[in-house]
Amino acid sequence: MKKNFLVALLAIMLAVPSFVFANGQSESAGDKEIEIRFSTIWVGADTKAAPVKELVDEFNTANAGKIKVIIEENPDADAYRSKINTMLGSGSAPDVFSFNPDQTSFMFYDSDVLMDFTDELKGDWASNFVDGAIESATINGKTKSLPFEMGYTPIWYNMDILEEAGVSEIPQTFDEFWDACEKIKAAGYVPTSQMTGGTNAWTSMLWYCHILNAIGGPNVWEKDFATDPVFVEAAEILNRMYQDGNTTVDAIGGDAGVSGGHFLAGQTAMFINGPWYIGRVESEAPEVFAATQIGPGPGDKYSNGQVGFPQSNLVAANTSDPAKKEAVLSFLKWMTTPENAAKISQASGAMLAVKTPGVTGNRVQTQFNEAVNNASFLQTHFQFNFATDVMAEFGQALAKMASGKATAEEFVAQIASKIR
Amino acid sequence: MASKVVKEKKRLGFLGTFFKWFYLIFFLCITLLPLIWLFITSFKTNLEFETASAFSLPKVWQFGNYVKAISMSGLPRLFLNSIIVAVFATALNLIVSAMGAFAIAREKFKLNNLLLSVIMSGVLIPIIALMVPYFRLIKNLFLIDNLGGLILVYSAINLPISVYLIHGFMSTIPKELEEAAVIDGCTFSQRFTKVIFPLSQAGLATAGVLMFIYCWNEFTYAMLLTNSERARTLQLGIRYFKSQFVVDYTSMLAAIVITMIPTILVYVFMHDQIIGGMTNGAVKG
Repeated sequence: MKKNFLVALLAIMLAVPSFVFANGQSESAGDKEIEIRFSTIWVGADTKAAPVKELVDEFNTANAGKIKVIIEENPDADAYRSKINTMLGSGSAPDVFSFNPDQTSFMFYDSDVLMDFTDELKGDWASNFVDGAIESATINGKTKSLPFEMGYTPIWYNMDILEEAGVSEIPQTFDEFWDACEKIKAAGYVPTSQMTGGTNAWTSMLWYCHILNAIGGPNVWEKDFATDPVFVEAAEILNRMYQDGNTTVDAIGGDAGVSGGHFLAGQTAMFINGPWYIGRVESEAPEVFAATQIGPGPGDKYSNGQVGFPQSNLVAANTSDPAKKEAVLSFLKWMTTPENAAKISQASGAMLAVKTPGVTGNRVQTQFNEAVNNASFLQTHFQFNFATDVMAEFGQALAKMASGKATAEEFVAQIASKIR
Repeated sequence: MASKVVKEKKRLGFLGTFFKWFYLIFFLCITLLPLIWLFITSFKTNLEFETASAFSLPKVWQFGNYVKAISMSGLPRLFLNSIIVAVFATALNLIVSAMGAFAIAREKFKLNNLLLSVIMSGVLIPIIALMVPYFRLIKNLFLIDNLGGLILVYSAINLPISVYLIHGFMSTIPKELEEAAVIDGCTFSQRFTKVIFPLSQAGLATAGVLMFIYCWNEFTYAMLLTNSERARTLQLGIRYFKSQFVVDYTSMLAAIVITMIPTILVYVFMHDQIIGGMTNGAVKG
């Protein structure tokens, strides 16, 4: 009797919350409305949250009774990436989702879990995307994700600080750059924002990419990271940016809040981030916003190169249900029309891989566009070219080098040891 | 001579008291300072958070951070979900752990120690390593995006530590009590339900509080196994202020302050049981 009671109690404990709070494991079927679950990080504080929701609502209204898209909110980008990788590793995926187009994500192209858009993109749909975008998402002739958001990360210069230090022009060479650093320090400011923390040492990783642009040129990622001297030479320059007061004392171990915070506070003169940061600078530090000028990094053998990379690709789960596949394609085509992409870009400031006609921006956004359009070449960043574990090693190795515990050669060797 | 000894004793007594209080105050500061920082910072602007000194007071107290914390992330619903998951998962975990611990601690058979070691080895497995198998399991049980899935996983993940704690406590109960119960006609299950289980309350409370705090603070599996607000817990609500590139730190800290309240209350009201249970379990050889 007691045994039965305990067994019943255990069953009730699990069953009650399961039934009371169940929201149904939905499946599409027959003539019923097809439900598409759209798993995304464009929620909460993300600037794309509102326009994306608006577009989804418009799509649902236009397809009432036939297709319904439900947004599954994933507020934490790092945890979302881990979740998607776990799901893909388990052989399943949300109906529609986004991923960071890096080498780890592209590994799932080999599986059958992702929908293949190759044939669909042979028609008019491909013309919605900017030149070269589809190719960046195509591997071995298969396009299993749609390029959506692009990241461009030029240098942000606080011209008030530069002018106060007696530097009237953006440094064009590394000699001018170091000279400017000395003048900035003499004026009581810190030359650069840096960071070794976070999952990817974001700001410093981008400085490294700009240095590589200058000394390694447009095809630097085709070189062998372990053996080509250009990577050591760039590491030496990056290390110098950490020495002699060229960055803040909290840069070693600091995260994006540290590197961005110093720039927002008008303490550092040079900083790197993408267009998504413009709104924050404008709202929280209007004086810094007014003084900001966007431009390339200092040149060397090559000049005026910029760092640009696919930031988010749209992806769908493979399905054997033709109706569901049709519904998913219909939604993805809706999200990637130039008119709808323009709405997202206009509202959020994001720069997309889909054509966005008629989008206007503020002064800094315009400078972003000019910097990208006038660049002599665009090159992807470190993170795009290596797997997640290699990226994680970058920050660790940088912290060691910046604190004097490793040389530039050892910095490169530590990272290279993770590259398979 | 005697006065010298008394003086020396007094001096040593003073030194002992001094070091005792220094030690206590030092660790009090280590414990409290982050909480004070958290509370003060939750009232600052993001610019103050990133640029002002850590313990400086905000220029203008931003009560709006708390309003934003509650409204933006749907905290009330997530709060309810967290309570349901924590309460049911703790209860389920304790019942299963207590039965397992009873068998290992009170029944003598050849594999007692081996069985305990095997269960305890679960503590050594990083939970990230279990993400794929747990995801597949819960998906096949149709419990994705369902509170039942979280309850099941949390109960299972904490079985090793709960079994260890309760086992340690049950081992301290004199055998004679059980023998008397058997003479009085108690069956195997009655020995558990009428004798051992009631006498293990302190151990159960310790395991229960640790389990509750784990459930309350867990994020990884809550993110993995849920897709919507209907099944999500508080820890996900906190992340609503962290987008891909920009973090609204101060609203996030306000949300953290709100979510800390229940765990602090649980500890305040049950700290005797927690400490008592842990030390009782610890001294048993």
